Amino acid sequence: MKSADSLQEIYHSKLSPALQSLESTRKEVVKRFLLSVLILLLGAASFILGQGSSWAFVTGLSIAILAFVSFWSAIRKHDSYKQAFKNNVVRKIIECIDPDWQYHPESCISENEYVESGLFPRRWDRYNGDDLISGVIDKTDFRLSELHTQYKTVSVDSKGRRSEQWHTIFKGLFVHADFNKEIKGETFVLPDLAERLFGKWGQKLQRDASRGQLIKLENNEFEKYFVVYSDDQVEARYILTPKIMEAILNIRKRFNTEIYLSFVGTRVYVAMSFTRDLFEPRLYRSGVRYSDIEQMYYQFNTISVIINEMNLNTRIWTKE
Amino acid sequence: MNTTLLILIAALVILSLIFISIYNGLIRRRNEVDNAFGGMDVQLKKRYDLIPNLVASVKEYAQHEKELLSKLTALRASALKPDLSVDEKISLDNQISGAIKNMLISVENYPELKANENFIFLQRSLNEVESQISAARRTFNAVVTDYNNGIQVFPNSIVAGMMGMKRKEVFVISEAERENVDVSKMFKQG
Repeated sequence: MKSADSLQEIYHSKLSPALQSLESTRKEVVKRFLLSVLILLLGAASFILGQGSSWAFVTGLSIAILAFVSFWSAIRKHDSYKQAFKNNVVRKIIECIDPDWQYHPESCISENEYVESGLFPRRWDRYNGDDLISGVIDKTDFRLSELHTQYKTVSVDSKGRRSEQWHTIFKGLFVHADFNKEIKGETFVLPDLAERLFGKWGQKLQRDASRGQLIKLENNEFEKYFVVYSDDQVEARYILTPKIMEAILNIRKRFNTEIYLSFVGTRVYVAMSFTRDLFEPRLYRSGVRYSDIEQMYYQFNTISVIINEMNLNTRIWTKE
Repeated sequence: MNTTLLILIAALVILSLIFISIYNGLIRRRNEVDNAFGGMDVQLKKRYDLIPNLVASVKEYAQHEKELLSKLTALRASALKPDLSVDEKISLDNQISGAIKNMLISVENYPELKANENFIFLQRSLNEVESQISAARRTFNAVVTDYNNGIQVFPNSIVAGMMGMKRKEVFVISEAERENVDVSKMFKQG
């Protein structure tokens, strides 16, 4: 792991030139989008001004087709800009953190891994993700990627018109790493929305038989933010030692977002909600900014924060 | 049949239903406490089973620690006696914890022993069982707290009084123990 100082050095020597050369592509994308909008406006104007005459219809239609083609080319250019950004910039940031980490911009955590975690039991209708990174920190291997899962509802209004609504199940960073203790059951640490909203009364709402027993822990602050379910009271406490509870609280405070954790099989799964897209270039302002790069660096570093806070490299128990 | 009698019967039925549900709830809580204590006992026994191995492997390399070794052996022998009271069990267990800790600290003076693979595995097993004991104790405390709350709130307290249920004590975990064993000192790898 390299320090922020060396990131600055790499920014000036490698990243900044790469970003500079991408700037022209970015400007080209913006230009094409603007052009498309302009053509579209022109088409609409001629259609309205022509008041339904066949001349106006033909012109309007051809301009609309032109606008469509223009949009299409803008989107393609945008894709190639994103791809170049990921390969020339993001890849270098990751190399700067650890040259042995693997980066696959187009892949994500698999559906199997997502199901295995047991964190979000709801069946999804749409599953997207990108920026898969895998690697090893000391003794702990991990995989992480951005993930967005959604489900669909269909409603029919009084006139019989169908409309689809998409709802997010999870959007953010999904990580899993080797856990340093042997576990047999399943333990879930979930955001405690009920208790935060309704106080002690919320505890009554927390019982969720499908996830196992509700485990009450002795750390009050932890109890305020999280609710714990497990199929084994003792194992839940074996995993959630006073130190680990502090660590989870620290991680939550540091990223100031909802965190879901599960301990299943040999792994610990961590899902952190983020509403914005991560690791994507900005389109409508200059891409050459150190602060953007720094932010990305810290986002990738999430995994080292998790591994260090939770002491996953401490291997003093029977699991090697 | 007159209405007063009907109302009386209905009230009796409701009251006995309430009584049964409180009674069952309290029994469940008491069983959970016994169960948690049993779970802790299992882990304590696991640790007793590791002691002869520990004594044997330390003996081989560190003849100077005779006193510690015989103390540990004696403690184990008394811990395995049947019919110990809960308090005796706890006090013996605390002494064993302390003795093992001292042993592992004095092992620092014997590099050969520290590098021995069997011994490293033994240390891992001890750490494992130590963490399990601590988890089992915390579970015990949680269910005892639940039990104590259960028998003290009204109207449960009336039923609990009739059943002769008394407040149970939670484990007091000593300050030294609460601060997890400093493993970096105890267990330097490589």
